[in-house]
Amino acid sequence: MGAALNGDGAAVGVAHGATLVEYGEAMLRGDARRRAAARLAVYQALGPAALVDAAAIVASFNAVVKLADGSGIPLEDFKEKATQTLRAELGLDGLNQGAGTS
Amino acid sequence: MTQPASFDPTTLPVRHALAHEIERGWRRLAEPGTWWTGSQRLAIAAEARNAPFCGLCQRRRAALSPYTVAGEHVSLGILDAPMVEIVHRLVNDAGRLTRTWLQSMQDAGVAEEQYVETIGVIAMITALDTFDLGLGLPQRTLPAPLAGAPNRQRPAGARRDLAWVATVAPEHLSAADPDPYTIHGNKNIHRALSLVPQEVLNFFDLDVELYLKDHEIRDFEHEYRALTHAQIELLAGRVSSLNGCFY
Repeated sequence: MGAALNGDGAAVGVAHGATLVEYGEAMLRGDARRRAAARLAVYQALGPAALVDAAAIVASFNAVVKLADGSGIPLEDFKEKATQTLRAELGLDGLNQGAGTS
Repeated sequence: MTQPASFDPTTLPVRHALAHEIERGWRRLAEPGTWWTGSQRLAIAAEARNAPFCGLCQRRRAALSPYTVAGEHVSLGILDAPMVEIVHRLVNDAGRLTRTWLQSMQDAGVAEEQYVETIGVIAMITALDTFDLGLGLPQRTLPAPLAGAPNRQRPAGARRDLAWVATVAPEHLSAADPDPYTIHGNKNIHRALSLVPQEVLNFFDLDVELYLKDHEIRDFEHEYRALTHAQIELLAGRVSSLNGCFY
């Protein structure tokens, strides 16, 4: 989780993690050159089908956040309990500023 | 073996089920919705594409609070001001929306149901455009609107007991309501847009092919994609983190 938050994809022991993290960052934050390089890197390292999957995952998670943020739905109790320690370690609760506040 | 120095994105192997849902997603954007006509839905999608270029939104994003920055949005001139504000905030700064802001939009004349359907439209165009961007395909021209009137059916079982907007618990759906829960599950994320149940179906019919179906997400005995579960979750986690989404 820490790697996902701070972008250190190489640290987590996931095959081609650094390539995938760079891809996600490039799609959301990069310019055209960075995006092109990231696509090619995924294509070369993981293959064309994996590039399609990577594009699909970025699409899904770039979109689903609108449902949560737009509607103000809360985290389920079971998820809140299950992730209490994790959220404390990573300081996530301090980042949830919008829900229910003015 | 020499690695290819480039590739043609139009030849990438998009899974049949995903390709089907993508085409259906584009069509659903153009169809009359529950509260908006096809033309209105496409106007929302067009404004969503315009929103990233808005100077007011850029100044607000840089500010400690978006509510301290006044000004006018740079819009396409099709939607009225409250709807432009809604579209731009959902696209550019959704993580800092508040219940109070939403109330102000309703006070300005946007019905709760219209707002929820707007979220659905924006989520769809975001998913579809991001997918094309991810492959290196050009942004598609928006389709022509399809004729027909919205049905304006509000679920009788809608209650404001979970979120900022009314939602419909699975047990409160009636036979007249579209049922997204049986197919897609009933977690809070599925309930988010349930005031307009068709929007839940629209989004998750596409999303389960972009991501994974509910039962596949924790089935670590099988890999359903060319990416492994671990690779999927690492990428998903990074994207969510960049979007400030910790749900």
